[in-house]
This record gives sequence, C-alpha cells and structure tokens, in this order.
Amino acid sequence: MDKKPLLEVKGLKTYFHTDDGIVKAVDGVSFEVYSGETLGIVGESGCGKSVTSLSVMRLLDEKGEIAGGEILFDGKDIRALSDEEMRKMRGNDMAMIFQEPMTALNPVYTIGDQITEAILLHQDVDKETARKMAIDMLRKVGIPEPEKRVDEYPHELSGGMRQRAMIAMSLSCNPKLLFADEPTTALDVTIQAQILELMLELQKEYGMAIVMITHDLGVIAEMAERVVVMYAGKVVEYADVVTLFKDPKHPYTWGLMNAIPRLDEDKDVLYNIPGVVPDPLDFPKGCRFNTRCPLATDKCRTEEPPLVEIEPGHKAACWHIDRLVEMVKVSRAGEGA
Amino acid sequence: MAKRKSDFRKMMKKFWRNQTAVLGVVLLIMFVIIAIFAPQIVKTFSPKAAARAYAEDPYQMPRVAWTSNPLPPSKDDPFGVIGGRDIFYGVIYGTRTAFKLGLTVAGLSALIGIFVGSISAYFGGWVDEIFMRIVDIFMSIPFLVAAMVLTTILGKGLNNVMIALVVFGWMTTARLIRGNILQAREEQYVLAAKALGQKDWLIIIKHILPNTIFPVVIQMSMRMGSYVITAAGLSFLGVGAEPGYADWGTILSYSRNWMTMLDKAWFAIVFPGVAMVLFVLAWNLVGDALRDIFDPRMRS
Repeated sequence: MDKKPLLEVKGLKTYFHTDDGIVKAVDGVSFEVYSGETLGIVGESGCGKSVTSLSVMRLLDEKGEIAGGEILFDGKDIRALSDEEMRKMRGNDMAMIFQEPMTALNPVYTIGDQITEAILLHQDVDKETARKMAIDMLRKVGIPEPEKRVDEYPHELSGGMRQRAMIAMSLSCNPKLLFADEPTTALDVTIQAQILELMLELQKEYGMAIVMITHDLGVIAEMAERVVVMYAGKVVEYADVVTLFKDPKHPYTWGLMNAIPRLDEDKDVLYNIPGVVPDPLDFPKGCRFNTRCPLATDKCRTEEPPLVEIEPGHKAACWHIDRLVEMVKVSRAGEGA
Repeated sequence: MAKRKSDFRKMMKKFWRNQTAVLGVVLLIMFVIIAIFAPQIVKTFSPKAAARAYAEDPYQMPRVAWTSNPLPPSKDDPFGVIGGRDIFYGVIYGTRTAFKLGLTVAGLSALIGIFVGSISAYFGGWVDEIFMRIVDIFMSIPFLVAAMVLTTILGKGLNNVMIALVVFGWMTTARLIRGNILQAREEQYVLAAKALGQKDWLIIIKHILPNTIFPVVIQMSMRMGSYVITAAGLSFLGVGAEPGYADWGTILSYSRNWMTMLDKAWFAIVFPGVAMVLFVLAWNLVGDALRDIFDPRMRS
C-alpha cells in the first residue's frame, strides 16, 4: 500500500451545536480510501458513519461544523476550498447515494430529467446528448426498457428500480469516489443482492472508489476490501476485511459478529451486545465502549485507549486485546469451528 | 419535445375523465364568457336597463323604476327589480366585479404571502421569528370583523373592500409556503441535488419551489370563491360596495328590508345567490382539478 490515497481523512472532528450542548458526532476519525477500492464503514445507528461522509462532502446542515482534522482529496485540502469550488467537486469528483431511494428522488421530475440535470451540470453537452447519456446510464444500471423508463416519475418505479436510477444519477458524471450510505437498507433481500452486485460491476467498469456505509456486516463481507469499525464517533478498529473477520481485535467488532444469525446454528435467542449506545452529549469517560464491554476494567473507565497498529494495516483501540484474543479462541473452540 | 406532448396529453385525458373537474372548468368558462360579453348580454336580454345604464360608470346598476317595492321578473327585467335597480344587469355585471375582486385579492394576498413566507423560511432565525409573530397578530383578529372595521375606516367602495381583504388575507399563504419550504428543505432530494453539485438558487427554483408552490396555487383558486362571498357579506352588512354598484352582495343587501316577505322579493336573493354559489363551486372544482394535474404523485 505505497500508492497515494485518493481520500485521506485525518483526525476528523464534526460537532453539532444543539440546544442541549455540543454533540461530538465524529471525534477524531482517520482513514484512507485508495482509487478503485471499497472501504466499508460499519457501526450502529448514530455512531457517526453518515456524518463522516457528509463532512467529507461538506453537506452538513447549519448546526454541524467540522471542528478539526484534515480531509485531503487527491491531495487537495477540502476544508480550504471555497463553496463554489466545493460545489464543482460534488457530483463530478465525488457523489453519494442514499438510503431511501423513495425520498432521494424529486417526485415532480421524471428520472430522466433528474439524471440529465446532473449531466448538464458538470458536462458541456446539449440537452439532446444529455438525454441520450441518461438513457445509456439507465441501461447500464440494468433498468429494462430505458427509453421508456426515462420519462417515468419516481413513484412509477419500484424500490429497486429507484435505487438503480439513483445510482445512475450519481455515476452520470463518472465520479472518482462514491459514498454509498446504506444503499440497500430500504430494499428487500433479493434486491439488496442485485444492487450490491451492480455496484461491484460498475466499480469494475468505472474504477471509482466506494465508501460503503452500513450497519450490516454481511454487506461489508461481500463488498469491502478494508473496513473501518466505528463506535460512538470514534474508530475502534481498522483492518482489511479478511483479517477483521478472522481476527477481530476489539470487543465491539467481536460483539457485532456474534450478533449475526448463522444458518448452521439453531438458536432461539440471538446474541446482542448488552446496553445501548451512550448518549452523544455525555459519553462515558475512558473507552466509550466500557459501559457495554464484557472485558471492561477500571483502566477502561478512566483512560481512553489509543488506536494502535497491532500489525501492518490492522489498528484497534482497546486496552485488553490479549484477553479478547483469548476469549475469541475459547468461544470459537466451543463452537468447534 | 415528443415526451412533453405525450405527458400533456396524458394529463388532459385524465382531466377530461374527471367529470367534476370538467364541470368546474365549464362553469368557469361560462362565467368568463358572461364577464367578457356583459354589455352585449345585457343589451340582448334587458334592453331597457341597458339603455338606461350610466355611460360614465357601467358598473352602476341603472334605475329602471322609481318605486322601492320589488317588481317580479318581467319581459323588460328578466330577473326582476329591487330598490328600483334591474337585477339582471346587476348579476351580469356583478360577474365582472366578482372576477375583479377575486383575482385581485387572491393574487395580491398570495404574492404577499409567498414573499413573507419564503423570506421567513429562507432566512430563518430572528427574521422568521418577527414575520411569524406578525402573522400571529394578524391571525388573532377575526377576519370578518377586521375587514369590517378596516372598510369602515377606509370608507365604502369596492377598492377599499379589496384592500381590507388583502390586508387580512395573506397570512395563511405565508404560513403555508413557509411550512412547505421548511419541509422541502429537509427532503433528501434536496440533499441529493446538493450532493450532485447543484447551485443553491437552482435548488430553490428547481427542487424546492415546484414542491411547494402548487398548494398555494390550489389554495388561491379555492379562496377565489370565498373572497367573493366575504365581499358579498360585507356588502350585505352595508360596509361593502356603494349602494347601486353592480355586485352580487349589493343586490342581496337590497333584499334585507324584505326578509319577512320573501314571497315578494325571492328573485333578489335567488339570482345573485345562484350566481355566487356557482362561482364558488367553479373555483373549488377547478382547484381540485389543478391539484390532480400538478401533483404527479396523484397520477397513476
């Protein structure tokens, strides 16, 4: 991994100023994305994974503010760009697809109009050409009869078709980086698989990097090459996907994996991580996971563990990695795996 | 181009299948024709009244009799006479008055409402706070009472009625557009448009306004009728148009003295009353039809 990363996020801090106080939604997050790869960001609702992507695209609302850190895209410091320069980057260099294809498309325009709008915005072509490009794009994302569909309104399409249209829209200007914010969560399982497959195909064809934001480790296993595990606004583990699943080094990651139902086991009750996500206005002292961690000691309650590189390309933030490794070994031995 | 046409055709096809919408449009077209050809219509059906019309102000109902007793419909006065005025003339010219009043009041109050509402929603903060409190103050005064007081202060006359109705009629539009913009601003398609790098003002024009303006247009059409009724109410109460002005409410106000003897003055209530009911009905049906046409979510 000597090549230069496409996107480099260093110590990103995003705070929201609310009436109740400052919410540190993202608190010192660092990761890199290389051209053409897929980085997964996984974590529970409210852990700051969506806010991270919105920060990189500078799409936070008035209450949100990037309070610290560096965001380098292609070597350019995104925080230093003017609003106009940033606007030109959006859609062109980086694009985003959303969780709810139902609401992310404007109901009063046909999908063709919306894709054409994106093309006209960044490319110097006339309307007729843009329309042809939109139809091509719809064909590429696997929408049948694109010549007809291009004139349909979002409400005339099914959920899966809408998400395909959304993907067509975000890829219409061939961005180098695509944020996919829970792109399959609102879809049913068979459609989920189709959409993920489509994204992988398009990635091969266009060579863009994808940042896949999800709470679903299954999606991560299928899509991502490297994974960032986030908890309460912090990165708790950062590894390539094989290492992460084989050799988790943070109790939270291990808990997430245990919570996945397995086909070869006949359990009545699924495992879940005890407790709830801590209140973002009042994070616990020390390690933020200490209230829910089976391994927590006094040290975890007072001192925050740093994100350290355990082996090349594998980072984790935990005081008790040794004990976790032991626990994982025992647990896996018990399963006979 | 071809696609636009087919879209339009689809809409039209759906529109014509909606019988109530067609009824509304037919009624409205009828009223428009009556308003445009008012002089010719009066000349044809009530030539005596037309001959006596005041050349300098055709909106004054001509005196055709010098008795204060109502005269039933006759060949010369198809809708009868009340207060010495020809009712037919009043109903026909009253259509013009109704359009003038409805369009002016609905249009002006919608403009003020859109202006105040969008500024409120766009700037937010203390601007929003101030504008919305002004709206609250205006809304806390009962509409009819406020309009009555203002026309009393300004003096009689149709223009003053219109001023009063606009002054106390813009608030609902302001609230409607503000609420809609606030809601639309949070929609994910607005964020999606931003994520594609769309310009801010184009987001407002292309994405926020189309999703917010139609309720206002529909509301305008619906309220067109109700303004006419309110104005008629003011005229009936004696604080509206001047006596003798060709206005449906004014004709009704003449019948006030005959309320206990309706068998003698029924025509002074029925004819302007029917005109008013149909006018309001027409605008309401058209408003409904507009909603169906404008809202693609309603097209199936």
